[in-house]
Amino acid sequence: MSISEKPPLAQEPALVVDDVVKRFGRGTEIVTAVDHVSFSVQQGEFVSVIGPSGCGKSTLFNIIGGLLSEYEGAVKIGEERISAPHPAVGMVFQEESTFPWRTVIDNVAFPLELQGVAKSERMDRAHHFIDMVGLASFEKAFPSQLSGGMKQRVSIARTLVSQPKILLMDEPFAALDEQTRLLLGDKITQIQQELNQTTLLITHNLTEAVQLSDRIVVMTYRPGQVKRIVDINLPRPRTSDVVGSDAFGHYVAEIWNDLREEASRGMADSESAASRRAAHG
Amino acid sequence: MAAAGSLTSSSIAATPRNVLALRLAVAVFVLCVWEGLSRSGLFYGEVIPSLLAIFASMGKLLIDPIFWRNLQVTMVETVASLAIGAGFGITVGIVLGANRFLMRAFEPVVYYLSPTPRIILFPVMIMWFGVGPASKIALGALSAFFAIALSTAAGMRQIDPILIRVGRSFRANVWQMAFKIYLPAMRVPILNGIRLGMGTAIITVLLGETKLSNQGLGYMIMQVYTRFDMPGLYALLMLVFILAGAVNALIGHSARD
Repeated sequence: MSISEKPPLAQEPALVVDDVVKRFGRGTEIVTAVDHVSFSVQQGEFVSVIGPSGCGKSTLFNIIGGLLSEYEGAVKIGEERISAPHPAVGMVFQEESTFPWRTVIDNVAFPLELQGVAKSERMDRAHHFIDMVGLASFEKAFPSQLSGGMKQRVSIARTLVSQPKILLMDEPFAALDEQTRLLLGDKITQIQQELNQTTLLITHNLTEAVQLSDRIVVMTYRPGQVKRIVDINLPRPRTSDVVGSDAFGHYVAEIWNDLREEASRGMADSESAASRRAAHG
Repeated sequence: MAAAGSLTSSSIAATPRNVLALRLAVAVFVLCVWEGLSRSGLFYGEVIPSLLAIFASMGKLLIDPIFWRNLQVTMVETVASLAIGAGFGITVGIVLGANRFLMRAFEPVVYYLSPTPRIILFPVMIMWFGVGPASKIALGALSAFFAIALSTAAGMRQIDPILIRVGRSFRANVWQMAFKIYLPAMRVPILNGIRLGMGTAIITVLLGETKLSNQGLGYMIMQVYTRFDMPGLYALLMLVFILAGAVNALIGHSARD
């Protein structure tokens, strides 16, 4: 892995996804999960990738995060093509991923511990981000004592503490109820505006995507291609109140129009697979 | 005896107090039966000595420097065999747990060898390491190894894969992955393996000492037995049980979350 010596220009995108293709399997069993996907994320921008299950969102997440190193095309940060986890990208996973044997503050300080940051500085910085996600009074608690939403906030703080240039999240609120999701969305918007954090969110949740994003990349059902990229011109600073506005409803309807077709193709596919299984069983 | 009399009844709540009462009742019952048999004259001589005689012997043992020296020998042997067995066991367990190919090749071997009686290897150990503590340590380490290796391998496989991905995403190096993710995630299964390993290590060490040795509690038990000092024998056995139980409880406590 070579590190680019040229400092990136201000106008240069934080992240470029350039004609990325990922196929799984071999012979006649090849499935194209990601099919010639291209888009970019500007500095400070919040972009969501939305699509039905089976559109290759999670594959894309793993490629950008550097956890899937073999793919065609390029995911680039500056001049560097990503093929391993990159220090500029901080990942937040869909699954509950806190370390159960560590307290909240030790969980959040984890990336700094790996970097060899001195203990007092580590604690200070961890404290700052725990405070930011609103868990200041739970620093000494263990994850088992927290709710699902609180655990995800710990994961987000743990990723933010390493101050990644790009925050990459894979459906971090998928397991949460709608109210918690909206409130955490507010928290994310607030943090993103406070840090001017470049963020790429992978989601299948339409309201979440519109609530949070500057731009939405709509994906097609298998093979996963970019169907459309929609600019969301809702005012900032934004809160979850925006969900009630006409403009919000308009965006949701517009994107749903694109998404419905893909989602129903996905549903038909999984139904025919199910009936094949039933016929064989 | 009221608690023991209504054992089949489900109306007794399993509160800590009731549990303790039941345990005490059973203990008192066993002691009464023992003392009754001892005084009944049904058994020859001192096969079942009086409780008073046993406790008197126990008192004498506890102030006897020979007992403490032998206890020390056995403890050193057990701890040494556990340390060696754990060192090899955890290493082999991690290798088996991490590598599917090696696991398929060797785990059944470890699994099916683990309940075999290691004591049959005692003559070999005597030849290799002599009649002193070394042969007991070697045999104890061998017996502890299996339990610890199997438990570590199982613990390795049950780690939540998401935690590994988190480590990778933060670019942890091999050592950081090992010491900050794998080992803490495997703490409970490893400690359980060590607890099981210690049980077999104690058994094996004591067994070895009773067979061929010149020191240690097992040796002392055989000495007392050849003198036909029955109160002394029972006193010694009770002390061994209490010590082994206490150490087990200690490790069990630390294995809890």
